[in-house]
Amino acid sequence: MNSQIKKGILDLCVLALLEKGDSYGYDLAGSLARTVEVADGTVYPILRKLASDGVVSTYLQESQNGPPRKYYHLTDAGHKKLDAEREEWIKFCGEVNGILDKENGGKADEQE
Amino acid sequence: MNKSEYIKKLTSELGHMPYGDVKDIIQSMEEHFDEGIGEGRSEEEIAASLGSPEELAVEFKDGAKFKQVMKKRKLSDNFKGPDGRGRIFVIIFNLFVGIEMWLVLLAAIIAAACILAVDLAAIGMIITGLVTGILSEFMLPFIFLILTLICVAVFLVAILILGIKYYVRGLKNYIRWNKNVWHYGLGEE
Repeated sequence: MNSQIKKGILDLCVLALLEKGDSYGYDLAGSLARTVEVADGTVYPILRKLASDGVVSTYLQESQNGPPRKYYHLTDAGHKKLDAEREEWIKFCGEVNGILDKENGGKADEQE
Repeated sequence: MNKSEYIKKLTSELGHMPYGDVKDIIQSMEEHFDEGIGEGRSEEEIAASLGSPEELAVEFKDGAKFKQVMKKRKLSDNFKGPDGRGRIFVIIFNLFVGIEMWLVLLAAIIAAACILAVDLAAIGMIITGLVTGILSEFMLPFIFLILTLICVAVFLVAILILGIKYYVRGLKNYIRWNKNVWHYGLGEE
């Protein structure tokens, strides 16, 4: 898929992953890369940007093996942003699909 | 590419990003590698799945640029947060240490120039005295005195050239450092 299109929506995907609960970089990278076709590293610049925007906060937590992990947490502002943008995205997808889907699009035109 | 090669490449690609940000990014990437290694993956495998360090650096820099633009829009935030502490630090440091230090150094350079002028004037006067014969009775001691004064003059000229050169260079670096702290803070979290 076109990387420009993907880039814009990945912020939202990371917010959605964090909605399920706090998580650390490696785990988020894996979750994102498993679902969307992106490199594991992609998540880190996004997390930095989200943290500087204040929609995500960070804290360190000891892990059983090895050094402490940096955890990411969705803030209240993050929840609001996610809810608003998720709705927008779903609506937008519906509209785009309406145009792109040949059969439905054709029929819709005929009916009008 | 193994872990240290990847991190070295990423660090160099990040270039002029503030030190605190680079440190933070590198920490995250090291954590990522360590987690992967803990799962039994090889460093090369982890590096490959991270994507190229060049592209990753570009994404980090794009994010930072965005952050700066957002920050510059809010004037009231100038003195808040880590960057704000940097600004307060710049003002206080300059008020109590920075400006005084540069003034003292400037005074030292001016003093050296004054001493040089007096020295040259003395040489001129003694030579005039010798030539016109007023001091001819004490020819030998005065010649030694002139030689000494010339040595002092050469020394002062050398000191002045070096002093001015490093003063200008130091001042430029100092201003650049101030600007950096002003815009990006002291590199703390």
